[in-house]
Amino acid sequence: MIKKISKFSTIFITLAILYIPILIICFLSVNDSLRPYEFNGFTLKWYLQIFKEKTLYQAILNTWGIALLATAISTVCGTFIALAISSLKQKHRQLVIFLNNMPILNADIVTGISLMIVFSFLGLHFGRYTMLLAHIFFCIPFVVLSIMPRLKMMDENSYDAARDLGCTHFQAVRKVILPAIKVGIISGALIAFTMSIDDFIISYYTTGDGFSNFSTWIYSRLNRRTFSPAAYAYNTIITLGLLITLIYINLKGDSKNEKNN
Amino acid sequence: MKQRSLILPVYVIWLIILVFIPFLLMLFLAFTKTKGLDLTHITFSLDNFKDILDPIYFDAYKNSIVLSTIASLLCLLIGYPVAYILTKIKSSKTRNILLAMFVLPMWSNMLLRIIGWEILFNPSSILNSIGISFDLIGSPFAIIIGMVSTYLPLMIFPIYTSLNKLDNSLIEASYDLGASKFQTFKSVILPLSLPGIYSGFTMTFLPSATNFALPERLSGGNITLLGNIINSNFGKSFNYGFGSLLSVILIVIIFIVMIFINKKDKDGDLLL
Repeated sequence: MIKKISKFSTIFITLAILYIPILIICFLSVNDSLRPYEFNGFTLKWYLQIFKEKTLYQAILNTWGIALLATAISTVCGTFIALAISSLKQKHRQLVIFLNNMPILNADIVTGISLMIVFSFLGLHFGRYTMLLAHIFFCIPFVVLSIMPRLKMMDENSYDAARDLGCTHFQAVRKVILPAIKVGIISGALIAFTMSIDDFIISYYTTGDGFSNFSTWIYSRLNRRTFSPAAYAYNTIITLGLLITLIYINLKGDSKNEKNN
Repeated sequence: MKQRSLILPVYVIWLIILVFIPFLLMLFLAFTKTKGLDLTHITFSLDNFKDILDPIYFDAYKNSIVLSTIASLLCLLIGYPVAYILTKIKSSKTRNILLAMFVLPMWSNMLLRIIGWEILFNPSSILNSIGISFDLIGSPFAIIIGMVSTYLPLMIFPIYTSLNKLDNSLIEASYDLGASKFQTFKSVILPLSLPGIYSGFTMTFLPSATNFALPERLSGGNITLLGNIINSNFGKSFNYGFGSLLSVILIVIIFIVMIFINKKDKDGDLLL
């Protein structure tokens, strides 16, 4: 009993640390007052305001556009890179994985500045494309890393078996390898998307020409009159929407599994 | 799978261009005095190395090290038991929902989560109506809570992965040989989960030591971290040389950490 209570309270306290600021944002999204320290009554006007606030709305679209594109590109590239890495000999494999880890472990601010410096040396025009390039840069390593363990778990002979049975290289990859590493690809894509949609520091350094995503929009408007609580409303929609979706998927997925068993 | 493909060389070149070229450029800039990237007025100097020892920055170094060490240790203290409990949950439904609950906050904007704490820690906050007032803005406590709340998931996941991979028969063997629960934990489970702890620590320590938005919001301008110095040198003062020197030092530290992690975890399985 005591064990159960201590387990439950550990989980509860941890979730509280993570969710308290999110709950405050939810609360502010329905607060009629512009000042965060007083509650003037319930309102949903900020939710409508999301669509009226042109720059915010554009920033949200930019965030999603960049995140979807960066995820798609880095998932496809990351899958092929992971396949290529797994066929390397141990020594070379470790070296490439070492290189691959660099963007993951590096501090965001250093990555952001590095990219800014190299982009300006290459003479690139700062804006949506530099931000997209930066996001692809930090997403690929996560995709690669999440696929590698799946490839290792796979039976090495299954590819050769498929080839022996008459598959071309392409067919063997598509029909044998890809299904075996599907879970890794999906989780890699999810991680990439999560990283991209929440990124601030790297986006801050690699954007320009008035192109902003949700994070850089917020940062540039904090403490200014142009900051709109519609940002709180948008954030609340995302969080609640996701929470409901995730619980729904899990409940549905599990009842299916039980039927199969 | 022994097909030669072009993608790997392309990827290695891409990584070299985006990781090593900027490193070399920053190393070069570290020895110069320049306004931004205006190389026409570039002069070589070792002033940046002198500036780095300037006592005005010591507080920022100290804050970065002390506050993010405390925050990372707290993340470990909270994250380890949570990861452990998660691996022990038998129902896959409950476990998946809980795992998802720990990722979900990362979909909520980081800046807004920090603003959430800022609003709570202000002396006049929405809590006044129920008679509570925190006055924590500017205190190390506020910064540490902000760091823990922002980066905790990055500690939980690597530890969860390494605990999940743990061979159950080793634990059973330890019980069979007469070890108590505590002994088993101390001499079997903990050592085998160390790689997860190392990568969790790296993933929480570095970003919290170098985030600049977090101290800007939660310190009320009182506490600066390394990230703030780097940011102001690249932003307001266009002192790329000094900013580069600090970045180069950070990269070298990360490089040493990576070599260390690579020794423990050859395939890089534990960063996720």
